[in-house]
Amino acid sequence: MSRKTKRRLGDAAVSVIAIAIGLILVFPVIYCVFGSFKTAAEFMKPRLLPQSFAYLENFRNALRQAPLLRYMVNSCIVALFGTLARLIITIMAAFAFTHYNFRGKNFCFFLVLGTMMIPGDILLVTNYTTVSALKLLNTYLGMCIVSFVSASQMFMMRQRFLSVPRDMREAAMIDGCGDVRYILQVLLPICRPVVITLFVQSFITLWNTYLWPLIITASAPNMRTIMVGITKLNSWEDTNYELVLAGVTISLIPSFILFIIMRRSLSKGGMDGALVG
Amino acid sequence: MNSAPPSAAASVRDAQRRCAPRARRGNGLKIALFLAPILVFTVAFTYYPFIKTILESFCSVNTKGEVTGFVGLENYAYVFGRSDFKKAILNTLLLTAINVPVTLFITISLALIANKKRPLSPVYETLFTMPMAVSMSAACMVFKSMFSPKLGFVNAFFHLNLGWFENRATALYTTIILTVWMGIGFDFLLFLSAFRGIPSQITEAASLDGAGFFTRVFKIQLPLISPTILYVVCTNTVLAMMCSGPMIIITQGGPSRATTTLMYMMYASGYGSSDYGLAAVVSLVAFALTFGFTILAFVFERKKVYYQ
Repeated sequence: MSRKTKRRLGDAAVSVIAIAIGLILVFPVIYCVFGSFKTAAEFMKPRLLPQSFAYLENFRNALRQAPLLRYMVNSCIVALFGTLARLIITIMAAFAFTHYNFRGKNFCFFLVLGTMMIPGDILLVTNYTTVSALKLLNTYLGMCIVSFVSASQMFMMRQRFLSVPRDMREAAMIDGCGDVRYILQVLLPICRPVVITLFVQSFITLWNTYLWPLIITASAPNMRTIMVGITKLNSWEDTNYELVLAGVTISLIPSFILFIIMRRSLSKGGMDGALVG
Repeated sequence: MNSAPPSAAASVRDAQRRCAPRARRGNGLKIALFLAPILVFTVAFTYYPFIKTILESFCSVNTKGEVTGFVGLENYAYVFGRSDFKKAILNTLLLTAINVPVTLFITISLALIANKKRPLSPVYETLFTMPMAVSMSAACMVFKSMFSPKLGFVNAFFHLNLGWFENRATALYTTIILTVWMGIGFDFLLFLSAFRGIPSQITEAASLDGAGFFTRVFKIQLPLISPTILYVVCTNTVLAMMCSGPMIIITQGGPSRATTTLMYMMYASGYGSSDYGLAAVVSLVAFALTFGFTILAFVFERKKVYYQ
C-alpha cells in the first residue's frame, strides 16, 4: 500500500468516526424533530423514527394551545429593534472614541468597557425594579432596553474604525462631508463585514434570551417571546411531550436559519466577531 | 503667502480666529451627542443597579423594593446562616468545577479531530457546531423530555429507570450534561480556528523531528493556543457561575434544593418572593466569587500563557 492510499484510508476512518460523534452530539435535535411527528401512543415506545412524517396533529395542537406565531413575531420585533438600537449606539460611540480627542475620553472609554466585568445576570432583580418603575413592563422597549449597550461590540467596532486610514476622513472633510454622512457613506461601507457580523451576533443573542423576557412579560402572556413561550407549553399537562417537542421544533426553524447566516458571516468576517456576545 | 494681498491674508486669519472657537464648541456638543446614549444606558442599566445592589445589601428593603432602613451586616449574617445558601454555593462551585474542564476537554478533542481539512470536513464541522443553534430554553425542553423517567428516550435506550432530573443524587449532574452540551458548538468553533491559525511549518517541523501525536498536541499545539484556552476558561467560568436557566425551566432548584445555584436563589428570592435584601447579598457573593476566579485566571495567565 502506498503512503498516499494509506493517508486516504486514515482520513476516511477519521471522517467516519467524526461523523458518528457528530450524530451523537446533534442527537437531541434529531430526537426533537422526530418526536414531534409521533402520536402519543408512539411516544411510549422507545423508537426513534416516527411511523410517518405526515402526522401533523402535534404542530396543530401546539399552535392551538399557545399563539406561537405571535410569540415569534414578538421575538423578531425585540431582536430587530434591540439589535438596531445597539448598533446605532455602538457606532456613534466608537466613532466619537476614534475620531475625536476630548477631555475625559479615557474615563468614558473605560466606563463603558468596565461593564464587561459585571455579569448582567446579577443585576437582573434590580434592573427589573428599574424597568417596572419606568412603567415598561410588558412592552417591547422594556424587553430590550437593558441590552442596548454591549461593551465588547463597541470595542470591536472601535478596533475596526481605528484601522481605517485617517486620510480618508480628511479627504471627506475637505469635500465638505459632515460626520453623519461620513459614517453612513464612507465608514460603514468600508467596515461592512464587521457590521454584519455584529448585527447577526446581536440578533441571535437577543433572539435566544430567556430570563429577561420571562420576568418582564410575566403578567402579559401575549407579549411573550418564542423562547419563553415554548417553556410554558406543558405547564398544565406534564406528559404531553410530543406536543412540547412540536413547539420546540417550530421555534428551531428560525434559529437554524440564523445559524446558517451566522456560519456564513463568520467565514466571511473572520472569527474576530465571534468573541462578541 | 507673500504674494497674496495683505488684506486677503488678514481676512483668512480673521476667519480662522472667528471660526476656531465656535468649531470647537460645536465639536464638544457633537461629541456629547455621540456619546450620550452609550453613557446613559451604561450608567442606568449597569452601574446604577450595581451600586444600588451594594447599598441594598446593607439595608432592609420592603417587598415593594423601597429601602426602609440601614441594618449594617444583618442581611449578610442572615444569608450566610441559611443552609440553603451554603447548598447554593456548593452547587454553583460543583457545577463550575465539572462544567469548565469537561467542556474544555470535549471541545479541544473535537477541534483536534476536525483540525485537518478533509473532503467531509464541512459535514462534521456543521454537526459539531449545531448545538450552538439551539437556544437555552429549547435545549432545556428537549433534555427534559429525553431524560423524563417514564417516556424519555435515555431510560428506554439504556433500560434504566432513573428519574434524572427528579432524583436528588442525579439532578445536578444531569443539569451539567445539559450545560456542557449547550456550550459545545461555540467553543469548538473557537478552538478550531485557533488550531488552524497555527502555522503549519511549526507542526510539520515537529513531526519531521520525530514528535508523536501526543507530544505535538501537548508540547506545541496546546501552548500555542493558550490565549484561546484562557478566553474559553474565563467565559465558561462566568457562564457556569451565573447558571440559572435550566433550574428555572426544568427543576425549580429542586428536588430538595439539589440544583439550587446562587443565581437561581437570587431569582427565586428577589423576583419570586420580593426579598430584595437577600437577593442583593446572594448576587454580590456570586459576583465576588466570579470576579475572584477571573483574577485568578489572569494571574495564572502571566505564568502559563504564550502569545505568539
